Amino acid sequence: MSSEIRVLHYLNQFFGGVGSEEQANIPPEIREGPVGPGRLLQATLQAGPGGSVAATIICGDNYIVENERQALEKVVAALDEYEPDLVVAGPAFDAGRYGLGCALVCMAAATRGIPSITGMHPENTGVLTHRLNITAVPTSAEASGMQPAMAKMVELGIRLATGDELGPAVEEGYVPRGIRREVDHEATGAERAFSMMMSRVRGEEYVSEVQVPGYETVSPAPPIADVSTATIALVTSGGLVPKGNPDNQVGGRARDFFRYPIDGLDRLSTDDWESVHMGFSTVHLNTRDPSYVLPLPIVREIEREGVISGVYPHFLSTTGNGTPVTTARRMGSEIGRELKESGIGGVLLVAT
Amino acid sequence: MAKEIEKEGIPVAVLTALPVIPLSVGASRVVRGVRVEHVCGDPRLTPDLDRRLGRRIVDTALEALQTEVSQPTRFVPPEEPAIQEAAVAV
Repeated sequence: MSSEIRVLHYLNQFFGGVGSEEQANIPPEIREGPVGPGRLLQATLQAGPGGSVAATIICGDNYIVENERQALEKVVAALDEYEPDLVVAGPAFDAGRYGLGCALVCMAAATRGIPSITGMHPENTGVLTHRLNITAVPTSAEASGMQPAMAKMVELGIRLATGDELGPAVEEGYVPRGIRREVDHEATGAERAFSMMMSRVRGEEYVSEVQVPGYETVSPAPPIADVSTATIALVTSGGLVPKGNPDNQVGGRARDFFRYPIDGLDRLSTDDWESVHMGFSTVHLNTRDPSYVLPLPIVREIEREGVISGVYPHFLSTTGNGTPVTTARRMGSEIGRELKESGIGGVLLVAT
Repeated sequence: MAKEIEKEGIPVAVLTALPVIPLSVGASRVVRGVRVEHVCGDPRLTPDLDRRLGRRIVDTALEALQTEVSQPTRFVPPEEPAIQEAAVAV
């Protein structure tokens, strides 16, 4: 039994069974044994090399990203108490804050010399931000991919826990960590480049040896020279729509943005507006003040003071929750063109 | 989205509770808000302090729009003692 792998598992409040977004602010709590997907993790361990989930850390998605230091202190305390051979975090799929939380927990494990593995969608903020410091298995966007994700996480996790070094990311099936190692090639660089070029010309498959990061860099736009002559546009990804949601905006994976008139409007009332966002708790927006995701009253005040010349008569609204990069790019491009044609000087974009 | 708007030459200030996300994907001007559920204010404060906090965040965003940047840059609203104390008390 002593050779069995002891695992500490990290889950968010949702997968930990505590609750949904209204529980996203809970600090870390420790449960003995497996919880939720931890049962699959334990079953996978037992079907393979043997092992068990010693304990589960459950933390709210907002808490861990907003109170990183306090949250990770508790995580490290749990690591010291349970002394696991391996930390497994998630999988987080396309949930951005959960993905970030998983990455932070994996990095905390590294400070104690404990190997870790997580899993998430390749576009998850967790890997985009921390991929150089974590080992992450790419997963589906949705939780329906739990089983294959967990199988792969266990496979790689066990190897890490037993001191095995992983091979190249593309061969092993994890997200590239940006590590380059020296390898021997049969053919010289010139020969390989030539053969790659020939494949490309012939329309055949080929794999580049240099993986370019997926994010395009855009040169920052020049600043506004004189803000007192500028018209400012308001954009939000907070899922803000007129009460009743006339355009049927969705709570997640939105494909469209909508424009709503705010000409002559000084404030946003909960009687007339609501957020349909399903990626965070909208209680404050929908019972107190929608302007937490669209600061219209403040911008009107600034306009009255003459600090800015005016406000674009519509605000542009989408739901930023699991939106694929290509969709976000298309929406941004359409919004950009519209605002350019309208001579807008600058944009305040509230991202939730 | 912000980067595509910036491609048109219009500066964008991204107001967010989690600056690490837009900064990681290369947004140019990122302003730290309060929390995901209430980016531009804090319902735990009195209406007066809540509004002052919101004003600070939006002022910081306007300042960001008027600032020359060469790479993804984080802007943090200045702290106001009265707001900090009230926030600690709740």
